[in-house]
Amino acid sequence: MSKSINWFKLNRSLHRDIGYFCIGMTLIFAISGIAVNHVEDWNPNYEVTQQRFEIDGLATQIDQDSFEPWLLEQLQIEADVKAQFWESPQRLKLFTKQDHTIVISPADNSVLVEQVKPRVVLRSFNFLHLNEARKAWTYFSDAYAVMLIFLSLSALFMVKGKYGAFGTRSWLVVAGIAVPLTFILLYS
Amino acid sequence: MKSLFIISTVFMLALANPVDASQTFGTGANTSDVSKISDILATPETYMDKDVTIKGTIVKVCKKRGCWMELASDKRFQSFRVKVRDGDMVFPMTAMGKTAFATGKIQAFPLSLERTKSYLAYQAEEMNEEFDPASVTEPMTVYQLAPHGVTIQD
Repeated sequence: MSKSINWFKLNRSLHRDIGYFCIGMTLIFAISGIAVNHVEDWNPNYEVTQQRFEIDGLATQIDQDSFEPWLLEQLQIEADVKAQFWESPQRLKLFTKQDHTIVISPADNSVLVEQVKPRVVLRSFNFLHLNEARKAWTYFSDAYAVMLIFLSLSALFMVKGKYGAFGTRSWLVVAGIAVPLTFILLYS
Repeated sequence: MKSLFIISTVFMLALANPVDASQTFGTGANTSDVSKISDILATPETYMDKDVTIKGTIVKVCKKRGCWMELASDKRFQSFRVKVRDGDMVFPMTAMGKTAFATGKIQAFPLSLERTKSYLAYQAEEMNEEFDPASVTEPMTVYQLAPHGVTIQD
């Protein structure tokens, strides 16, 4: 005797298991989404700190062979210079292995020290969210998107009766569609 | 509980590996045939419509999206911008001071006189220098490289 499939139960089981599988990805995409959504206001990948200094004698020291160690000592920075670049006749940039960029303006004795530190967790989340990895990650992200489509559609059939998506709670479904539609009508 | 611990450990180990370790973007650069940035800027028309590789120290990187970087020229006070479409490649800010090779096509953007003045005024402001718009009497053309491959070396 063949057993008929209980579609309601199967839908709930799949929704539960796929939901569990999607927890990690959803958190990564959601957290990164908030981070990159505000890219105009902050840097979601790096913490950039800036310090300004005024150091006397830059103009006379800058041509000396010992200028770099002298400057680092004045700035009290322990770092190794890896490259330098004369951006203009009035502006020299030094780059260190410790991710400092030191901008030197000998004309007014000013030095700007900028240091870049990656936000390790967010940088990794954004790396995945913005698909910097490419390759197989593209296909995995597609599969995740298909699973999200399944989760949203299967949610319609999770509860029967009065509290189901087609009962009194249907306004929530309509609201979830109406809000993005309103933004399209208002801003596009 | 045990599986949750294993998942968390694997995840944290993955994050501990710096993502920036990969230094090749797109197809990677063709490092065997490098043109001097100063030569390109001197006679840009010679380098149009063909693959060109440039090399230089990375002296600026787009802070927000990592969609462009500037390479120091072999000549003082000169640099050359390498620009990709947002998201095609993301140049890390931590690459500043490293040497990069970029292979791609040179693009030319002729500016009107007004735009030339705005462009130079912006550059002067960035460098904290004085600028007199009246000193600009000729429109200029801005050049950049649209790469299909970039290699960054330590």
